[in-house]
Amino acid sequence: MSDLTPPPRSAGRVLDAQLHLLDRTVLDRTGVPVTTVDALEITDIEVDTPIEPGTPAPVITALLSGPVLGTRIFGGRPPRSRLERIPWSDITDVGIVIKLGVDGDSLDLTWVERWMRDKIISRIPGGRHDPE
Amino acid sequence: MKKLLGIALGILTAIGGFVDIGDLVTNAVVGSRFGMGLTWVVLVGVVGICLFAQMSGRVAAVSGRATFEIIRERLGPRAGLANLAASFLINLMTLTAEIGGVALALQLATSVEPMLWMPVAAFGVWIVIWRAKFSLLENVTGLLGLTLIVFAVAVFLLGPDWSQLIGQALHPTVSQGEHTVTYWYYAVALFGAAMTPYEVFFFSSGAIEEKWTVKSLAQSRVNVLVGFPLGGFLSLAIAACATIVLLPQSIAVTSLSQVVLPVVQAGGKIALAFVIVGILAATFGAALETTLSSGYTLSQYFGWSWGKFRRPAQAARFHVSMIICLLIGLGVLATGVDPVLITEISVVFSAIALPLTYLPILIVANDPEYMGEHVNGRLTNALGMVYLVIILVAAIAAIPLMIITGAGA
Repeated sequence: MSDLTPPPRSAGRVLDAQLHLLDRTVLDRTGVPVTTVDALEITDIEVDTPIEPGTPAPVITALLSGPVLGTRIFGGRPPRSRLERIPWSDITDVGIVIKLGVDGDSLDLTWVERWMRDKIISRIPGGRHDPE
Repeated sequence: MKKLLGIALGILTAIGGFVDIGDLVTNAVVGSRFGMGLTWVVLVGVVGICLFAQMSGRVAAVSGRATFEIIRERLGPRAGLANLAASFLINLMTLTAEIGGVALALQLATSVEPMLWMPVAAFGVWIVIWRAKFSLLENVTGLLGLTLIVFAVAVFLLGPDWSQLIGQALHPTVSQGEHTVTYWYYAVALFGAAMTPYEVFFFSSGAIEEKWTVKSLAQSRVNVLVGFPLGGFLSLAIAACATIVLLPQSIAVTSLSQVVLPVVQAGGKIALAFVIVGILAATFGAALETTLSSGYTLSQYFGWSWGKFRRPAQAARFHVSMIICLLIGLGVLATGVDPVLITEISVVFSAIALPLTYLPILIVANDPEYMGEHVNGRLTNALGMVYLVIILVAAIAAIPLMIITGAGA
């Protein structure tokens, strides 16, 4: 045990994925909720091959949502094509909410919201007006 | 002056908004069977709802996070989903009961079959949620609900034996012909009716709808600490009316007409008019609150865009889910099931869901990351812990008591 060196000190804030990222609400550029963080995608690690010393630690590449929530609760993993991603580069702030620098409408994972808006809500009179 | 008016308005809406179909029915049933012997439960319930409503409002105002977002964050997706399923189903049951209540109140006024009023009531609820501003719907139903004060007036007009009423309240005994287990069953039901979880979902989400900040905290504290106890006082007046008129003649409360009977006996037609307006406003207000709460809980768990401060088009899934909930409620009522029965069951199930709702609020209200300097004080935490124990006991006891007593039969 003693020959293990302590992990290098990282610059900046240390985030605990469980505590600071998972299940937090994600807001878009205008403060509109987009989703909740259902899972995280990290860079690949080869399965069954020993990890070389000096290999950089995996990093988070995207926040995930959609069907992955079901598998997180009941186990298993959806196929890669079924993952709905928000790339990590879109994130501008991680606090008690996660803020994005892009519009929610530009993300693929908000398609259900857009579909319901365009096909149902907008077609009911008053759907596009402010409440009075 | 404007500020003073704001405070008065807040208090009045809190009083009027406290009572819903669950409180109306349960208090009348309890009064007609046990007299004032369960007064202590209402008092315990009122202190509890004050404590946790205030806490969730403070969390919402300081951190900008509503209760169900916090429940998901703190309990994780699995326990959060279990909680969502339980809260949502109970909320749906309460929503169904409230719409039935609106229809029953309209029946009292018009003698038209409640079945015909139900679609009208559900449509009314939807159109208000679709078009009316949040503050408007809250204030109008709250103020009109104040006419329920006629129950308190009726108590005086009936000229009861005060020493007997107070004696029953201070020295609770199980009245003759009733079983101790039934007494405790109704204690749990009354507790569930006073502390219904939807009130907390609605209160915390409402704080965000109305864009509360730290500055709003003082006013919200006054609203809660004055308004809710006065609402509890209305509940007791309903029970007292039933105690004075229904208990001696052993009339069982099976519909709203028995609930209002003492008021009619005391004040005639004018009193009846007031009580109908009051019940209509209270049930309609609660129907709005439960419908919104079902949208709030779903949206906050899944991270959808929500809120009445947005246009419906900007919160599409929120509005679609509320429409579906109203349709389900209407479908359940269309089977001809008795709304009063749904009410009685929903308040007991509320008691079961209480710990799931209130524990995460207590945890987050102590988290400085969310709350900064506004974390709970020691007294609040001590009270919160005591209530958590009470809530847990009530939740565990609810189902066995329901089975043993045959739902209070």
